[in-house]
Amino acid sequence: MRAHILWLTVGMAAVTFLPRFIPLALFTRWALPEGIKRALHFMPTAIMAAIVFPILLSTQKGHLAFEPRLLLSALLVFAVAWRTKNLWASVVLGMLVYWLLGFAFA
Amino acid sequence: MEYFRDMKAGQFKEGARAALPIVLGFIPVGIAFGVLARQSGLTSLEAGAMSLFVYAGASQFIAVDMLAAGAAALPIILTIFLVNLRHFLMGSTISSHFKQNALPKTAVIAFELTDESFAVAMSGTSKIDGRPGFLFGLQATAQLAWITGTMIGALFGPLVNGASYGLPFALPALFICLLVLQLKNRVHIAVMILAGGLSVAFKYLLPGNWNLVLAAVVASTAGIWLTREGTHAELPTEGAGPG
Repeated sequence: MRAHILWLTVGMAAVTFLPRFIPLALFTRWALPEGIKRALHFMPTAIMAAIVFPILLSTQKGHLAFEPRLLLSALLVFAVAWRTKNLWASVVLGMLVYWLLGFAFA
Repeated sequence: MEYFRDMKAGQFKEGARAALPIVLGFIPVGIAFGVLARQSGLTSLEAGAMSLFVYAGASQFIAVDMLAAGAAALPIILTIFLVNLRHFLMGSTISSHFKQNALPKTAVIAFELTDESFAVAMSGTSKIDGRPGFLFGLQATAQLAWITGTMIGALFGPLVNGASYGLPFALPALFICLLVLQLKNRVHIAVMILAGGLSVAFKYLLPGNWNLVLAAVVASTAGIWLTREGTHAELPTEGAGPG
C-alpha cells in the first residue's frame, strides 16, 4: 500500500468514525434532554427522505429535472415496498425493472 | 474481546438475517466502487483497505472521484467530513437505545453505523433496545457484503459492466425501501415530503451535505409541531423511552 493512500485512508477513517462515535459515546452516558429526544423522533424519516429525493430529482437552472427511467423504477419500488414490506424482493424487483426500462428508454 | 464475550448468538443471527436487503444492495454497489477505485488508480488492496477501514459508501465514491481528478488528500478528507455531518444526527437519534455500553462496544457499533443499518435498526427499535448483538450481526454482515463487493469489482472489474443488469439502481432502490420502513403514520409522510423537497431545493445552494442536514432538522422539527397541532396520541413513545 502506497504511503499517500495509507494517509488518505487513515484521514478518511478518522473523519468518518468521529461523527459516528462522538454522539453515541456522549449520549449513551448522559441522556439527552426529553425535548431533544422527542425532536429526534422524526429524524430517521427526515434523513432518509433527504438522502433519497436528491438522487431522483435535481434542479438545473432553477428547473426541476428527472430521468423518467429512474423515477418510474423508484415509484414502483416505493409502491411494492409499501404494500409488501418485503425489502429484498423490492430491491431485486426494482433492479429488474430498471434494467428492462433501459431497453425502453434506450 | 469483550465484544465477542457478551454477544448473544441468537441476536447476532437475527441481525444478520435482517441485513439481507442491505447485502443485496451492497454487493452490486460495492462492485461499482471496486471498478471505479481501480480506474482512479488505486490497487485492489488499497480499494479493499478503504472498504475495511473507512466503510462509508458515499464518502468512498467521492474519494475515488476526487482522486481520479487529481485531488490531494486534505481536500478529500475535508469534503468527506462535510458529507459525514449527518452521522451526528443519526448517532444522537440511535443513542437512546444503547445505554451503559462500554466504550469499546460503542466504538464497534459506531464504526459500522451506516445510513442503511441505521434505517433498518430504527424501523423496529424493539429489536435493538438492550440487544446490541442484533446490531452487531446486522452491521457486520452488511460490512462483509460491502468488502466482498469491493473486492469482486476491484479484481474482476474489466469483466463486469457496471452499467448493466440494473446495477446502478441497487443503491437508490435500497434507500427507497429504507425510507418506506420509517413511514408509520400521516405525519411521517408529511415529514418525508418536506425533508425531500427541502433537500432538493438546498442541494445547489449549500456545499457538502449541508442540504441534507438542514432539511432533516427542519422537517423533523416540523413533524413534532404537526403532531402537537393534531392528536397527541399520534406521537409514538418509542425512541423517547428509557433505552
